[in-house]
Amino acid sequence: MTITAQDLLETLEKEYPDTPQYELATFKASRLSIGHSIETRKKGVLEIQAFTRYWNIPNYGGQSFFVDKLGARIALEYGISDRFTFGAGGSTLDGIFDGFLKYKLVRQRSDGKGSPLSISLFQNMAYRSKRNRPFADVNRFDEFSDKLSYTSQLLIARKFTPQFSVQISPTYIHRSSSVFPDDPNNQFALGVGGRYKLGGHVSIVSEYFYVFNPLESTNTYDAFSLGVNWELSDVMLQFQLTNTRGMTEEEFITRTPNNFNFKDGNFVFGFNAIFVLHLSQKKP
Amino acid sequence: MNKLIVLIFFLISFSEHESTSDQFITRQGQVSFFSYTSVENIEAKNNQVLSIIDLSKNEIAVSMLMNAFVFKKSLMHEHFNESYIESDLYPKATFEGQIIDFDPLAEKQTKIIKGNLTIHGMAKEVEIKTNIENNNGSYLFTGDFEATVKDFDIKIPPILAPNIAKIISITFRFEYQPYEK
Repeated sequence: MTITAQDLLETLEKEYPDTPQYELATFKASRLSIGHSIETRKKGVLEIQAFTRYWNIPNYGGQSFFVDKLGARIALEYGISDRFTFGAGGSTLDGIFDGFLKYKLVRQRSDGKGSPLSISLFQNMAYRSKRNRPFADVNRFDEFSDKLSYTSQLLIARKFTPQFSVQISPTYIHRSSSVFPDDPNNQFALGVGGRYKLGGHVSIVSEYFYVFNPLESTNTYDAFSLGVNWELSDVMLQFQLTNTRGMTEEEFITRTPNNFNFKDGNFVFGFNAIFVLHLSQKKP
Repeated sequence: MNKLIVLIFFLISFSEHESTSDQFITRQGQVSFFSYTSVENIEAKNNQVLSIIDLSKNEIAVSMLMNAFVFKKSLMHEHFNESYIESDLYPKATFEGQIIDFDPLAEKQTKIIKGNLTIHGMAKEVEIKTNIENNNGSYLFTGDFEATVKDFDIKIPPILAPNIAKIISITFRFEYQPYEK
């Protein structure tokens, strides 16, 4: 009996229409760890994001509990279509306000045909409202336009196995003004990141941004992050150990002032909380 | 000799035609499942289920793509495929079985279909009570049954256990038409 019913199943196998099958969830969240992933939110999905970074200052005489300094970012991301996301947010460190667009240009196919990669385009604009006294700032603060920066990224990712995905992110950053003539206004970087799923809900992620032409006026270091992503129904939590305090691209890619080690002031603990709201729901 | 070959070919092609006319297929079968808990209700529907019945042997087969299930929330769709069903590894759910005491000519009947249900790579023997209607040579199969999540080795983390029912109810509706290759 089973042998012939198997024949029927084989008959059905040939009846499947040739609709393209795409890889689902190369990454889970719109951020790999610190930087953007290829993932866009689905249509009608609103994400409410609260990111925080905690670090110590060496020989700081303050009375702070647990950590000396804290940076926070509140942001919203909205899926205009399944492949097009708009987001905006504000960060306390340097008073940065930013808006961005992300478009999923190419989707990796899971049926062995079509593209073996997913490609997304990312463009943001960030406005820096606060100086970082007593330290020297890299950009001028005279005009409104002096405080703007633009980041363009080509996000390229591949899901190799259900557990393992890798992304490379060629990045172009333009800063509208420089205080020091030696500092480049246009900077190029390459981000490399990956995730490995430990189970259905937990994955470990790591990300590194190499800057080809770093700032000359100050010592900067490449941003590195090692983290754990955890998702629970409508909530996604991302924990990271990193050397960067910034949460917008221009800041963490080009202006990270310290190396990754566990000395006070260098080591940053990060925590991203993302809450997902479905504003438009499908009828099943 | 040549005539004999022609006759054999004729007989073979005729007999093939005979056997296929016993088969009925649907390409737009509907399967829905429901998980009701006090925390949240999860509901999903697949409108592209394939199924075939063979009247000569009273056999039935069903095959569906797991990522074709449509959910109210897009995140549920992602979690279902990524974290629970693992549709990367097990893209399809299948059923193969036998319709017990099936009478192809009866207008309305309720019969037991006995067979193997395979979800998440795990096969489980089930018996499904099915209402069968015969409308002038096309068949309508409808019914519902329950499946236990644990039987299919689907891992649910303890913190999310209250959100997902231990027993999922499944309904189906298949409208079969004669199968022509």
